[in-house]
Amino acid sequence: MCTTFLRLRSTVSLTVLFVATRLAAQEIPPIAPPGLNLPHVVLLSMGGTIASQAPGDRLNITNYGGPGVPRVDPEKWVADLPDLALVARVTTEDFRPPANAPAAGGTTSDQLYKVAKRLQELANDSKVDGIVVTHGTNTMAETAWFMNLAVNIKKPVVFVGSQRPWSALSGDGPLNMYNAVRVAATPAAAGKGVLHAMNQNINAARDVTKLSAYRVQTFQSIDLGVMGVADPDIVKFYSEPTRRHTFKSEFNIASLPEKLPDVEVAYAYTEAPGYILDAMVAQGVKGIVVDGTGAGSPTGGPTGQTEAIKRAQAKGVVVVVTARTRGGRVQDTPRRRESGVIPADNLTPEKARMLLQFALSKTSDPKEIKRIFDEY
Amino acid sequence: MNLLHVSRRLRPLVLGSWALGLLLSLTVHAAELPVVKLFTTGGTIQSKGAHRQKLAEYSDGKVSPEELIADLPELKQFATVEPIEISNIGSPGMTTELLLKLAKGINAELAKPGVAGAVVTHGTGTLEETAYFLHLTVKSDKPVVVVGAMRPWTGISRDGPFNLLNAVRTAAAPEAVGKGVMVLLNDTIHSARFVTKNNTYRVETFVSRELGPIGYSDSDRIAFYRTPLTRHTAKSEFDISKLETLPAVDIVYGYQEASPAPIEGLVAAGVKGIILNDSAPSFAKATQFAQSKGIVIVQSDRKGSGRVVLSERTAGRGVITADNLNAQKARVLLRLALTKTTDPKELQRIFNEY
Repeated sequence: MCTTFLRLRSTVSLTVLFVATRLAAQEIPPIAPPGLNLPHVVLLSMGGTIASQAPGDRLNITNYGGPGVPRVDPEKWVADLPDLALVARVTTEDFRPPANAPAAGGTTSDQLYKVAKRLQELANDSKVDGIVVTHGTNTMAETAWFMNLAVNIKKPVVFVGSQRPWSALSGDGPLNMYNAVRVAATPAAAGKGVLHAMNQNINAARDVTKLSAYRVQTFQSIDLGVMGVADPDIVKFYSEPTRRHTFKSEFNIASLPEKLPDVEVAYAYTEAPGYILDAMVAQGVKGIVVDGTGAGSPTGGPTGQTEAIKRAQAKGVVVVVTARTRGGRVQDTPRRRESGVIPADNLTPEKARMLLQFALSKTSDPKEIKRIFDEY
Repeated sequence: MNLLHVSRRLRPLVLGSWALGLLLSLTVHAAELPVVKLFTTGGTIQSKGAHRQKLAEYSDGKVSPEELIADLPELKQFATVEPIEISNIGSPGMTTELLLKLAKGINAELAKPGVAGAVVTHGTGTLEETAYFLHLTVKSDKPVVVVGAMRPWTGISRDGPFNLLNAVRTAAAPEAVGKGVMVLLNDTIHSARFVTKNNTYRVETFVSRELGPIGYSDSDRIAFYRTPLTRHTAKSEFDISKLETLPAVDIVYGYQEASPAPIEGLVAAGVKGIILNDSAPSFAKATQFAQSKGIVIVQSDRKGSGRVVLSERTAGRGVITADNLNAQKARVLLRLALTKTTDPKELQRIFNEY
């Protein structure tokens, strides 16, 4: 650790002579580039707020982008951030949805497959040391989780976004991106599963979730915590995940079916009706995630979710239960075993949905699916 | 049934019938049960109040290790628990002598092939210091779980019994091997490196601030999510087997216009190291004077989360930065580090790695 703290001024100045003028007034960050061979980091854009702008309006942090407003191209990030050249040799790739597609909520399985396949290629490319993926923040935890399950990779894969557009006053995007590239260029970041780096913290794809609509500290790992930090002096890890991921995952993008089985989420609340589940079954879903109240309880009564779950199970639909409390695990209890629902541990419903889709692509045996939820 | 509420005369009878019943029901499993050594040091978990409502005043008696075990027949579903008493004191009274005795005792027991893990009872006030000390000095991959309680063993809705039961389950769990020393209260498993006491009385007092717990002890399983990466236990370079004492290190608190007098006093007292829990401009001269006497200065931060970052200015002054260790844990580490070296570079390496 100590050696990374030493400044190699001469090496730095040689490497980044071309940005020297822009950095002249700045202090060079105390990150030691490992000689002249800086790590090669691929910066892959899936868009997001970090790739959005409100031209000429630095105070616009809620109503940016949209039809007719130019987006921030990956090359512009690199041009705006000469600091990146201190820590990595960055090349860019553009995997943004079409210009007029909706924001992150619009990420499609088609895009997920495309990016997963590309990440798998990059995993096998000996010239690439790490990958940063930008994404809109709303569903980035889901996309990161998809890659965590589907890509066999040990190299660092770091998801990053921002809460404020690239054009904003005090935008969080530039530091987030700089830190994400630093993390992707850090050997210690390898083998820890897909990572998420925003707000100077490093979280695990499995555990991170968006908790605030607009604050920069929005991403948290509820009940757990950050695995590491990207501080000005060093990138430091304090823990690593114990659950299966990336190179330890039994799933792989190469062997996934062309389309994952349909799974939908039903929310539980006072008198939540069973007919929403019936409608899902009628649509032909293979699985349902019920985001239960408390420790994961669907609603009871003759018109409630519990009866609808029985009807769904009778038609071969697999039902997984999460807890809408967000904190805490749904436990494996005798009553749950009897009712045949599978507890989702502490996964959010959107992540439980994705894992169930993956699981159903291999098996419909409840015991096997339970094992998968216990191990991932 | 609560043994404490059974008169002393009846206790042997009750115990006897329990023992008989358990013997009959558990003989089949007894042979396969893991052995967990229960090291007891005292604390709220081993305290009695005058009556059940006494949740903050409870110096009306001590609970012996045998009583803890007798009061929890459910332990036998998970492990064979064998008690070893180190002390029965409140945690503010913990001493270097007792810490060394505890660490040596744990090392001796965990070296035996028949022992699966160890549980340590401790008062919660300085629990994190003892846990981190063990994290650095236990020479084994086997689980060591430090446990306490926020309510006395006699209190209404006392948390001690479930905490103790879960600590034993975790110490006996194969998944807990290699995770270093853990702290378990309130169903939550923390790494000794990360955890701190965060509230005076609530049962959720132990938190790992930004780093979070590493697992949970739930009814269905001991669920782990994280493996700590800082050096600990079997990978630690510290060896206390031949030590009878540790170098003196004390803490000075920083605040507006903090007086340098405590630093000067510690220099006069002959300490080997000083932890600055935050800084004050008024400390500058006194710390330089301390350093001129060969005293090591470590910079920690009173905010309770976040790292003190490595900076050229701090390093240039020969001051060691404590990463995100709080002052009391920085003290534990510095005392052990000073048994090996006084070289600032080497000390900084140690603070970076542990």
